[in-house]
Amino acid sequence: MPQNQARDEANVVTAGASLRPFNDWCGNLRIVFVTGKGGVGKSLISAAIATEQAKLGKRVLLAEIGDTSYFKDFWRLPSVSYQPMRLDRGFDFALWNGETALREYVLHYLKVERLFELFFENKVMRSLINVAPGLNEIAILGKITSGIRKAGPPLNYDLIVVDCYATGHALSLLRTPKGMMNAIQMGPMGNQSRDIEAVLVNPDLVGYLAVTLLEEMPVVETIDFSRQLKAELGIAPVVIANKVLSSGLSESDIAELKSHPRGGVSDFVKYVEAINSRQSDFIRQLAAAGYQAKRIPLIFSNDADRLVEETGEALRHG
Amino acid sequence: MSSKIVVCAGSGGVGKTTCAAALGVRAAQLGRRVLVLTVDPARRLATALGLDLSDPNDREVKLQGVSGKMSAAVIDSKHVFDTFIRRHSNQAELVARIMKNRLYQQLSTTLSGSQEFTAVERLLEAVESNQYDLIILDTPPTKHAVDFFTAPQRINALFQDSITRWFMAPGSGLGGGIFSGLISRGTKLALKSLETLTGGPFIEELVDFFAAIRSVQKVLQERSSRAYDLLRNPDTRFIVVTSFDQAKLLEACYLKDELKRLGFRFEAVVINRAFPIGLSAEAETHPSPSSDSNSVALDKVRKFYKSFKEYYAFRYSLYEDFVKNVGSEVVMVRVPEYQKDIYGTEDLVSLATLLGSPSADKAEGMK
Repeated sequence: MPQNQARDEANVVTAGASLRPFNDWCGNLRIVFVTGKGGVGKSLISAAIATEQAKLGKRVLLAEIGDTSYFKDFWRLPSVSYQPMRLDRGFDFALWNGETALREYVLHYLKVERLFELFFENKVMRSLINVAPGLNEIAILGKITSGIRKAGPPLNYDLIVVDCYATGHALSLLRTPKGMMNAIQMGPMGNQSRDIEAVLVNPDLVGYLAVTLLEEMPVVETIDFSRQLKAELGIAPVVIANKVLSSGLSESDIAELKSHPRGGVSDFVKYVEAINSRQSDFIRQLAAAGYQAKRIPLIFSNDADRLVEETGEALRHG
Repeated sequence: MSSKIVVCAGSGGVGKTTCAAALGVRAAQLGRRVLVLTVDPARRLATALGLDLSDPNDREVKLQGVSGKMSAAVIDSKHVFDTFIRRHSNQAELVARIMKNRLYQQLSTTLSGSQEFTAVERLLEAVESNQYDLIILDTPPTKHAVDFFTAPQRINALFQDSITRWFMAPGSGLGGGIFSGLISRGTKLALKSLETLTGGPFIEELVDFFAAIRSVQKVLQERSSRAYDLLRNPDTRFIVVTSFDQAKLLEACYLKDELKRLGFRFEAVVINRAFPIGLSAEAETHPSPSSDSNSVALDKVRKFYKSFKEYYAFRYSLYEDFVKNVGSEVVMVRVPEYQKDIYGTEDLVSLATLLGSPSADKAEGMK
């Protein structure tokens, strides 16, 4: 099918394009999903992308998915909310969960406040909403894609950066519309799932980032995730290798330092050499799987703003 | 015979599974018959343990020179749930019906609390098998580690009698009961709104799903509360695994408080990757200045080393705060950041030895 073929070709470009300047890759994408194994730095990368893209003059929303916020502690925000709030960092921020997304949706469509209250104040109904398979996932994805689909309350952003769940959970979130479509073909639920799915598989609108560390488990998980995403949504993610130890020492520097050990740093030189070699192995392993990982250095700081700023710089130049 | 239980808790990506496996090795070294129940192990770790990811049964792990016996298994959530429903539903017709339900087929893994339920159900089965002195449970990845311990409330909500009851038409089947006489006028209106928003076909599948699952509701709630009673038993110990990261350490503190509040026996913290191996965690003096400073490479490495050490010194201060916060009654083990990943059995043995300092053995309830 010519359409699929065109999409495949586009994906080859996308998959191999991570060494292009990152801002070019973002291009006109409307949604970027950021995922990765737990603890690899998804949130930091998401914040850095939002910062960089806002600098280009875009209206950017950083959306965190879940019930509690990482960024609240990270930036010491007095409060966070479902409704986007302006941060003095040039972009908006929101914390989205399924239940609130569903409430908003219901209110938007039921219009009648009285009926809405009935809907959510009803204890049995509340439990049902929490336990109905797939409903929360559809509500979250419905919210994320609502601007593009022009469904629900207006959401006017050029780009939404989604700080998503860890890989396994992210994959089951992203699979839900297809699962729901297969289960429910007719009616509003079937239609809505199809509309959401159409956005998720459109490489002109949506990009996926898999953040990894240059270590065995995250790399294997990243490659697995990327294959599955490609197989199920037809889009390969861009891979970002985070916290790469970047000493600035060349191979010849290391050789020189090893041949004349002095200054009390010889153990450290050996350490750097071992890490360098391990990191290169994993870069090769990713490359063999078809992913040119973009490298973000380990930044020696615990200051939130500096971490975001320097990560953004690394994304821009790298 | 009753099995002792160790639960490895912590948020995603901190090395819970590896720690659980290493503790298993240690227990086998101490002569125990131990089972490690893992959730989603990395492939190479699974290979090292001799596990086939598609086989849900216990497998013996081949270890050299240990007096005990170690087994391991992967918890396959879908498999456990399906088996559970087949085993505990007394109506074959309903089993067939739930297995056929499209929402169940497509989305059962997204059921709130289902992963947690299957983990503790698998634990209960292992205890009931009477084959093990010790069972080590790796907990499912949740964004927030405490989610695992509040799961029974969520799974109970799933099978809340009132929900399933509305969907049961007196004496009739699919869909017929949706507006049955049992439900209030308010609920009827709310349901009608849900139907308007999602459509008849969705509601029909949902009705079918809840009606079918009702057949296992009672036993599911019983098993769930039995499993959680077992977790509260004094013979069950909890180890919190955390990585060395400001946010994760904060979360570990919070998890510790929650575990205590919920009545679980919290015993040890493993701080994974606390410092690079070969470099000590404590701040050292900076490299001594040398007269031989006309080397560019030496200047570079010194500058890099300085920022590196400052960074780790700052992190060490986080650790000290953490220790103060956690208190002295808790065993604390720091695992260095190895220069390679831990997945072979020899690696597990060396990690086991580290975890097996006398205090850590005590934590594991093995002495």
